Amino acid sequence: MSFEFHLNTADGIQHLTLVGRLDSATFITLEKTINGLFNSAGDRVLIDFSALIYISSAGLRLILVAAKRARQVGGRLILCGLSPSVRDIFEISGFLKIMETADSKADAERALQA
Amino acid sequence: MQIHTSEGPDKVLLLDYTMPSQAVMFGNLAVSVEDAIPDLPDIAFSANLCLEELITNTIQYGLANAPDHAIRIYISRSPDCLEIVVRDDAPPFDPFNSVPTPDIHAGVDERDIGGLGVHLVRTLMDEAWATYDGTGNLITLKKTLKQ
Repeated sequence: MSFEFHLNTADGIQHLTLVGRLDSATFITLEKTINGLFNSAGDRVLIDFSALIYISSAGLRLILVAAKRARQVGGRLILCGLSPSVRDIFEISGFLKIMETADSKADAERALQA
Repeated sequence: MQIHTSEGPDKVLLLDYTMPSQAVMFGNLAVSVEDAIPDLPDIAFSANLCLEELITNTIQYGLANAPDHAIRIYISRSPDCLEIVVRDDAPPFDPFNSVPTPDIHAGVDERDIGGLGVHLVRTLMDEAWATYDGTGNLITLKKTLKQ
């Protein structure tokens, strides 16, 4: 199982969908896209984890970069669809306290449109 | 060489796997770990995460990213415990005494990712330690299995 991602924009919200294994071998393919997500105040991004089966600290670092960028420019980031195993890793890492999450993609979209 | 301590009649070796010191091989290792304990998918997830974090440390710091070293992974199981052993041929390196503990309570701006891998290993496993036997490092992880 490798890794791929899809980025598209709908209703002014960028949707980044992660698929497969985000590990120390595959994170490099996502780095440039993460760095380009937030450019100006009001930028809204949803990262969909529902098809992500695995993440290690190499992938967590990129998600932290996205959260830092959102804060720097005054944008908003919501993570959604985390599997129980992936959610555990976010919890242990302390990320659930500093990042906004939603159970479903629909919930995340509603929150970003509010 | 005898790798496993406390071999008992109820302890079964489920995986003896050798991978080259290359991050690109973690996906293959993960499939082998999942196949070795098909009834424990959550623990396989944790085991794979710990293996990746520790072997990444070994490759980066112990082997200076040399891609041609062999890293051997053993997984054995008794009724109440899963034991994971990682063997390398790097100079002495103890990740549990070398890496700072991250401040997981820091805010987004202050938060740094350093040390997170070892923090994850310590949290996900019940025991974790490293020894050096003169030719390489031996990392042992133990996870208690609920009956």
